Amino acid sequence: MTQPLRLRGDSGPALGGAGRYLAATALVLAVDAGVWAWGGGLGGPNLAMLFLAPVVVSAVAFGLGPALVSAALAVISFNFLFIAPRFTFRIERPADLLTFSMFFVVAMATGWLAGRARDEARNARRQAATISLLLDASRSLTAATTPGDVAQALADHAMAIGAGAAVVLLPGPEGLRLEGGPARLGRLSPETEAAAREVFETGAPPVGARSAGDWRFQTLEGSQGRLGVVGLRGQGGPPDNGATDALIRQGAVALERAMLATAMIENQGLRRADQLRSALLNSISHDFRTPLSTVLGSATTLLDFQDDLRPAVRRDLLESIQEEALRLNRYVGDLLDMARLEAGALEPRQARTDVRTIVDSALARLGDRLGRRRVERDFASDLPSLNLDPTLLEQALLNILENATIHGPDGARITITARAEASGLMLSIEDDGPGIPAEARADIFNRFRRLERGTDRGEGLGLGLSIAKGFIEAMGGAITATPPLTPDGGARFLIVLPWTTPTLRASQ
Amino acid sequence: MTHGLPRILIIDDEPQIHRFLIPALEAAGYDPIRADTGEGGLRQMATRAPDGVILDLGLPDMDGKDLLEKARRFYEGPVLVLSARHRELEKIDALDLGADDYMEKPFNVGELLARLRAMLRRGPHVEAPRKAVRAGALEIDLDMRLVRRDGQPVRLSPKEFELLRGLVEADGRVVSHRQLLTAVWGPAHEHDVQYLRVFVGQLRQKLEPEPAAPRHIITEAGVGYRFLTT
Repeated sequence: MTQPLRLRGDSGPALGGAGRYLAATALVLAVDAGVWAWGGGLGGPNLAMLFLAPVVVSAVAFGLGPALVSAALAVISFNFLFIAPRFTFRIERPADLLTFSMFFVVAMATGWLAGRARDEARNARRQAATISLLLDASRSLTAATTPGDVAQALADHAMAIGAGAAVVLLPGPEGLRLEGGPARLGRLSPETEAAAREVFETGAPPVGARSAGDWRFQTLEGSQGRLGVVGLRGQGGPPDNGATDALIRQGAVALERAMLATAMIENQGLRRADQLRSALLNSISHDFRTPLSTVLGSATTLLDFQDDLRPAVRRDLLESIQEEALRLNRYVGDLLDMARLEAGALEPRQARTDVRTIVDSALARLGDRLGRRRVERDFASDLPSLNLDPTLLEQALLNILENATIHGPDGARITITARAEASGLMLSIEDDGPGIPAEARADIFNRFRRLERGTDRGEGLGLGLSIAKGFIEAMGGAITATPPLTPDGGARFLIVLPWTTPTLRASQ
Repeated sequence: MTHGLPRILIIDDEPQIHRFLIPALEAAGYDPIRADTGEGGLRQMATRAPDGVILDLGLPDMDGKDLLEKARRFYEGPVLVLSARHRELEKIDALDLGADDYMEKPFNVGELLARLRAMLRRGPHVEAPRKAVRAGALEIDLDMRLVRRDGQPVRLSPKEFELLRGLVEADGRVVSHRQLLTAVWGPAHEHDVQYLRVFVGQLRQKLEPEPAAPRHIITEAGVGYRFLTT
């Protein structure tokens, strides 16, 4: 399981501790044998130079310890084999004593210096590699946006740095949950989970935690409290200079940031939902009460004074009940449409649709509410049919026409024009009412937005245009409020419906 | 044109409300007149001397409470306010500003007319308070500070009696928590509604035939209490 730190650029033989000493010894013995075979008659300083070779090689290849061992071995074998009297450790000639002493000092110094240089270079490389791994980790921890992503990144990088396996557990609604770890890990054993829970709850590694499947757990501490636990298993290989600890600290910071970000997004969502809810309650309280008052008031008047009322008055009261009931029905429809848009539950169908028929049926549904208004149609003769949801388009057009009847005076003119353009079918609906002030055109489509002008109170929920926009966008189209074509024109809405609707998604 | 009939002014910006209230009031024997704005309402209160006013507090051109405050400087007749159910504060403020009663929208026309009748029977707002009343088995004499139930004297503490006086003098009108608290405990206690709950409970124990289902001291949830003689 152990997967030691792999060092980039470290091309030395991958030998364990004992192997390196054996190799160093073998090198010296090989030189011994070589010199012996060659005759060994050289003697003196020249021969000593040859014995420095295995020392230097050992130092460079295997490090300080093997270098010193090979230096000692070279000095001893040099004395034993080649300094007279041979095959003894004695030295008789003063010149040999000098050679031997010089060789001893040079061999040891060479071994020490070269070995240390090699070890330091190796350490520097390993540190550079660690730093580079930590930088990598930092980058991916920063890029992770959710606590789950951070947990997985932390586990991946802990394994890259040297842990055999790493897991990250975060608290959820039902206790600690495994949020990051090796893909093939599956589930943790109950004992391991218990150990993790104990560490998370007490903050201290429990006694005997190692026996729980060899996992060692430690806490992830944030500035506001404990965020989770990280578990490491089978960490072996060379010491990692505290890289794992540094990584875990980085992970805790990233985790805290991700948790705060998630909480913030949830809060924003809640606030938005809250605003909508209060706008909705306000609307229901305000806009539903008048029609309800009328229905109840007219009905109880009829009940209480049936015989005292003139037939014309009775009829008027019944008509007002009918009108207000229809108005309530439209309000309910608006709220349902809004709720569907809000929930993203809109799934537009596609059908061959002729925009002329849709305009006709929308006008028909408007019925009596059109009053004495004149509708002028200016449709190009070569209008191709569209591929979209006829029901949504009809409702959207109805809402815009309703808006025109609410704001334009009775007897006013409503102009509907349709043209084929490269970008799609261009539909314009214009009335000659008071129009929309330029500064209000941008947010006229907002929910519950109503231009308060005194005269148009209680005429709608202020949802109609918002729904129209939602429906048209769900079909891939666009709607804007634009300045009127003529100076005395009123509100003008421009709708672009695409010829093809590749992906249909409800706009949020 | 309908001389002799009590004239009722309806101040409401919703034409649909006039559409059924006017025939209902006519059928009930009143002479209804209509105002669609607060401004117009004030003018008609001043010029046409209605016997009673029905005022919707949700007017677009003027806050209904402002209208009431202005009107009370010259108009002493009864005023019934129409208000949304959840706007307790609005109702309380209106009562404190001199409204005689309130109805929540949507309302039953029969109930509105009953309230209107009671209001008109009581007459102008600043009439001298009644001194002695009978309510079922109760006899209450405010001047003598005497309360009898089935002919037997009932002992009331001074605070209980003051509370009862506040309710009885209103003569069927809703009295807001604030009005009662100020009258009995003083302005410093105008928010201590829990005092009222305790003392109203004690009064009901002593005066009501069935304290759990009171007939005389009626709770107007979130607003106040009213005393009914029936």
